[in-house]
Amino acid sequence: MRSLALAFGLLLALPAHAECYADYKAKQDDPLRLHYGVAQVSACDKAAAEAELAGRLAAAGWTLLNVLSVFGPEGLEERKASAAEYFLRF
Amino acid sequence: MRAGNRVVAFGIAAIVLILLAAAVFLFLNLPDANAFNTRVERLFVENDNLTTGAEIKLLEILAQSGTSFSEVLASYRSVIFVLLVFATALLIASLVFLVTIVALNRRISAIQRAGIQVSSMLISREARAVYINDMEFQLTEAALETLAVLAEARMDDEVLTGAQIEAVVSGRSEADCDEAAGATRVKRLRDALGNQLVSELLVKTIARRGYVLAVGKDALRMI
Repeated sequence: MRSLALAFGLLLALPAHAECYADYKAKQDDPLRLHYGVAQVSACDKAAAEAELAGRLAAAGWTLLNVLSVFGPEGLEERKASAAEYFLRF
Repeated sequence: MRAGNRVVAFGIAAIVLILLAAAVFLFLNLPDANAFNTRVERLFVENDNLTTGAEIKLLEILAQSGTSFSEVLASYRSVIFVLLVFATALLIASLVFLVTIVALNRRISAIQRAGIQVSSMLISREARAVYINDMEFQLTEAALETLAVLAEARMDDEVLTGAQIEAVVSGRSEADCDEAAGATRVKRLRDALGNQLVSELLVKTIARRGYVLAVGKDALRMI
């Protein structure tokens, strides 16, 4: 009975702990610099990811242009090459 | 003359206003250096597949070449400014010259209507001559004296009666002088000077050939 409850609890808690990633585009002005990056986000939702990433990038001096998509760990590998140095940096 | 001044003031104000408006229009319409950056940025955002490092580098280079053009734009601005200042100065100068020419034309036609205008008169006692507009006229001692008296009175803004003229020339007191004596002196001066003036300006003597009227053919009419 107890183990069942634990399993049930874990099942409920699982989506909250699911690893979510977002790929985004950001820029810096004067001179214009652009980058495409992938970052881990806490919410698997595009709007929430946008808000979260904007703050994180602004702290590093970048301006978020847009978030392209939010995906799970299975999408990481195909984006690794494009993001290069900005892969999971912010 | 006052109306002319107002025309000049209005003209200068209009020139400055028009060129100022043109300058503002030009400066506002010159593209901003950042225009290029925003285009590149939009290109980057709108194309989701522009994600590889090489493509992004290329976009950055595009934006940088646009930014380096901004220095050229700044020099364009200063060149345009200098040219506009020159244009304003030239237009103002030409307006002033135009008005001056109009005023001069009016004065010249007034002079032509008034006939002889004395712009300089030099009385030389030694040479017993008077130079009017650089034309030399010989006078007798008495006529020269009368002219000198009249000139001195003119410089003091005085008007002399015949008796006063006679008194100054002869050195006697005014009460002892006759009005008619002064009038005679003036008449002789007029005769001597007028004769020579007319011979100089109107009926010219050409040595050993004769006489000719010193008037343009097109100025003559007979009715």
